[in-house]
Amino acid sequence: MIGHKITVLSRTCVAFLGTVALMVLIVDPVCAGEVLNAVKARGRLHCGVSAEIPGFSEKDPKGQWQGLNVDFCRAVAAAVLGDGDKVDFVPLKASNRFPALQARIIDLLVRNTSWTLTCEAVLKIQFPAVLFYDSQAFLVPAETDITKLAELNGATVCVEKGTTHLRNLKDYFRTHEMSVNPLMIDSASEFAAALLDGRCSACTADASQLAATGLQAQGTPLAFRILPERISKEPLSPAVWGGDQEWTTIVRWVLYALVLAEEEGVTRDNVTTNVSPKPPGDWLALSGEQGKLAEAMGVRTDWAVRAVKAVGNYGEMYERNLGRGSPLKIERGPNRLWTEGGLMYAPPVE
Amino acid sequence: MTDLQIYLTLVTFAVVIGVIALDLIDMMVAGLLGVCILLVLGIIEADDLAAALRIAAGPLSLLFGGMVVARVLAKTGIFERVGKLYLRATAGSGKRFLLLLVLIVAPTCAVLPNATTVILLAPVIIRVAQELQLDFVKPMILTAIVSNSAGMLTLVGDPATFLVGSSIGMTFGQYLQKVSLGGLLAVLVIIPLLPALMPQIWHARSNVPAETVDAPIERPGFVVLGLLILGLMVVLFLIGEELPTRIVPPAVAIIAATLALLVIYAVRIEPLDNVLRDLDWKTLIFLGAIFVLVQAFSKTGLLQGMGLTLNRWFGSDFALVALVLLVSIGAMSCLLANIPVVAASLVMTKGFMVAAEAVPDVALAGGFTDWPAATLPVFIAMMFGATLGGNATLVGASANIVSVGICAKHGHKVSFSRFLRYGLPITVAQLVVSSIYVMGLTWLSR
Repeated sequence: MIGHKITVLSRTCVAFLGTVALMVLIVDPVCAGEVLNAVKARGRLHCGVSAEIPGFSEKDPKGQWQGLNVDFCRAVAAAVLGDGDKVDFVPLKASNRFPALQARIIDLLVRNTSWTLTCEAVLKIQFPAVLFYDSQAFLVPAETDITKLAELNGATVCVEKGTTHLRNLKDYFRTHEMSVNPLMIDSASEFAAALLDGRCSACTADASQLAATGLQAQGTPLAFRILPERISKEPLSPAVWGGDQEWTTIVRWVLYALVLAEEEGVTRDNVTTNVSPKPPGDWLALSGEQGKLAEAMGVRTDWAVRAVKAVGNYGEMYERNLGRGSPLKIERGPNRLWTEGGLMYAPPVE
Repeated sequence: MTDLQIYLTLVTFAVVIGVIALDLIDMMVAGLLGVCILLVLGIIEADDLAAALRIAAGPLSLLFGGMVVARVLAKTGIFERVGKLYLRATAGSGKRFLLLLVLIVAPTCAVLPNATTVILLAPVIIRVAQELQLDFVKPMILTAIVSNSAGMLTLVGDPATFLVGSSIGMTFGQYLQKVSLGGLLAVLVIIPLLPALMPQIWHARSNVPAETVDAPIERPGFVVLGLLILGLMVVLFLIGEELPTRIVPPAVAIIAATLALLVIYAVRIEPLDNVLRDLDWKTLIFLGAIFVLVQAFSKTGLLQGMGLTLNRWFGSDFALVALVLLVSIGAMSCLLANIPVVAASLVMTKGFMVAAEAVPDVALAGGFTDWPAATLPVFIAMMFGATLGGNATLVGASANIVSVGICAKHGHKVSFSRFLRYGLPITVAQLVVSSIYVMGLTWLSR
């Protein structure tokens, strides 16, 4: 009996030591942040996006994801994994985005999420940098006589569930001593139908989203107008769960790298040939000369080059998805570079 | 955490539990080996150890304090006297012995920490069982199970219950209105099971030894001081958190233990080393290891990520989600310490509520208390699952581990399967009754 127990014990010990030795050999030492480490080990980036916002994230007829948010996810994947296609897009409705981020179902949220103090302070979510400066606007049917917000006094206005738009709507009408009847809609994709069948007089959401809504109304391209007033600031930013500073830094600087590339004339076409029309500046520091920076970030030295090669610089990305090269034709406005009077500004590298 | 690390964590956990269940290695050593594997693999790091210790510090302090106070009180002779009263009340009937045990343990655990109560009452229960010539292992298992169940009677009765209640802003009074009746039913459902589970004790008849004159107390000052410390501990457990300087139960236990050691030192009854030597260090170390293992399990995010899955599967059907949580958290609490399970499940449940659009995004953060009435049965189901699920196995609750440790110190080793024989049927019955109760609450909140 005692002999049997000793045998069992010795076998268990051998199995234990063997397992430990094996694991020590096959598991990389942990040196980067938790999310970066997980993404590298998995070999895929899990990116949370919206399912159906034209220009930001939607599937084309071939089933390929496209849009500004999608491109940014690809840029991060290219920087971290060396390949912009190594992304799993996770479509999320608005109410699912933060639980998904908190539960680590996604590594990165790029879903037209406004950077707010409430999210940072209460939910501990970090916003690395603004990807798109937007603002809340109102969409009305083209044939109505409504030309300004004051004419919506007492009207029913459609608003998407789970967004900050409802509060902004109520605040604006209250402070301007007007009344409004908000009608909650499950998804912004239902806005056009709600307007056309008369459930609401206007819809409110981010201006870019409303532009997309107008585009989505099949066969009625001129069916809607966006009113001129803007009632909120909506700095749309990628979001990461708080507490992993390394990951926040990487996401932030992938975006800044795209902006710096545009500032210095580095494009998708010339990035690998180093044919930069401007003298070397911060871009050069990012793109390989400063290997220690990349090492400190936990990424390869050519991370910035790979990001631009995957999606182009910020301007290229914008024009392709939202600007002149897209059906939306949204003016860059505040999303121009700071050198051109816009708000897009990357801090210096050194 | 990488997918590989998640698999390794689950395998490590399963192996540790399996080794304990099959009684291949001492459970303390098994727990420590599990921790070592996770450390070597880099799955848990310094931050995780610190996080696990933050969670474990409370329960371990309660146990350490309870053990010290009970050990010091043992020298006063008070357990012998209380034991005699208890013995007389049984009138030699095993049935009365078990019923009185439930009657004493349940109200005590409604206000005092479970494991501490087990430590304090164990000497009395063992003494009475021995006087009645009964096997004391079964009553000790029953003591642990009743103490866990009675934790549902009040908001402060069990740390897991308190964690859920406080995270949704439930007050002591609201708890009494909505949950306490369910807790009482969970305790009462044990009684009809006793004749079937412990027939030898239930039907036992013994002659109560003739009353003897108690020996005079040799050191009345020591006894008075010991009782004062016990009284102070009980009072501080009850009102400590209401004082201007908030004294939480673990701090109360440490204060009481320190005073008890001071008394032993001052009256020079025995060396302090003897007191410390007699503490159940194996139980304390095992519990610490289990907390570290569960911290690694929580780190996998598997539990937290279930919130969206629940929403996808069940939509906003809160009644169904409540039942699923009651059963699944109950099943997990069978093998995991319930505090970390509850902490991870809270993230899951709040995520579900946000995804189901029952509450705004800010509900994901701590401090949100504006929960609609319809959501409360879901949280109450979590309380039942976490508290009662731990009754099933030896490792399910700290009171179980303590109880088994005390039995071992008295020469009776309790195996995993032996505890399961009593714990599992009681747990199943309790979860069924709780499910009915939660369904009733859901119906009323509509």
